[in-house]
Amino acid sequence: MIRAKRFEDAKAQATGNAELFWWVFMRVSGIVLMFLVLGHIYMTFISVPESQSASYETIVTKLQQPVWKLYDWLIMVLAGLHGVNGARYVMEDYLPNKSTRFWVKAIFYTIVGVIFVWGTIGLYTFKPEL
Amino acid sequence: MIGGYRGKEGQWAFVLHRISGLAILLYLLLHILSIGSIAISRDAYEAVHAVESHWLFSMGLVFVTAGVLYHALNGLRIIFMDFAGWGVKIQRELFYVVLVISAIGGILTGVLTLMRVLAEHGG
Repeated sequence: MIRAKRFEDAKAQATGNAELFWWVFMRVSGIVLMFLVLGHIYMTFISVPESQSASYETIVTKLQQPVWKLYDWLIMVLAGLHGVNGARYVMEDYLPNKSTRFWVKAIFYTIVGVIFVWGTIGLYTFKPEL
Repeated sequence: MIGGYRGKEGQWAFVLHRISGLAILLYLLLHILSIGSIAISRDAYEAVHAVESHWLFSMGLVFVTAGVLYHALNGLRIIFMDFAGWGVKIQRELFYVVLVISAIGGILTGVLTLMRVLAEHGG
């Protein structure tokens, strides 16, 4: 994990290209997610009446446009990678034992992987029943 | 980490960033799990949605929103610190700005949600 305050320090501290990549990724995806997630919250819960918010019809109507499918999928992937990498930092900080860390990570990545496949299937294979 | 707190704002910002981040990740995973039920059938989705439409869940989402606001704004603060000297110089002040904006956003969302919930359930 990199504890640098600046890109130059991060570059110097990085134990490898992958670690530096994640350091940059957290910042870039963070800025993109700011807009995607706050926009998503606004569109789902502020600009829509309570009765329509996340109702079946609302979601199906929205997902019939490919651009919203892509928007939701992008949020899922970016927030997922950003969140999982954040959780990895936390695990590396608090699990000093190498084999414990390995197993916790392995189980955690597996659960997250399954949930992501589930979400992608949900997004791209559902048939609207209207 | 919390035990090592020395009364500095930077440390609180760090702890809050981690806690809000983990909470948002947990929410994201549950959100994908529940909304993915749309792939099974309309009935499956609506059964899940009926549970999540409870006003308690709506109010819970206010905390998710406030957490996202804090995490997003503090993330910006981190980026300013990473790439600009002035970000480091005023990081303490920025932390309070982040807290205030998050609190205002959280309260606003809370009031809006309360009004929506009352309108829906006939208060």
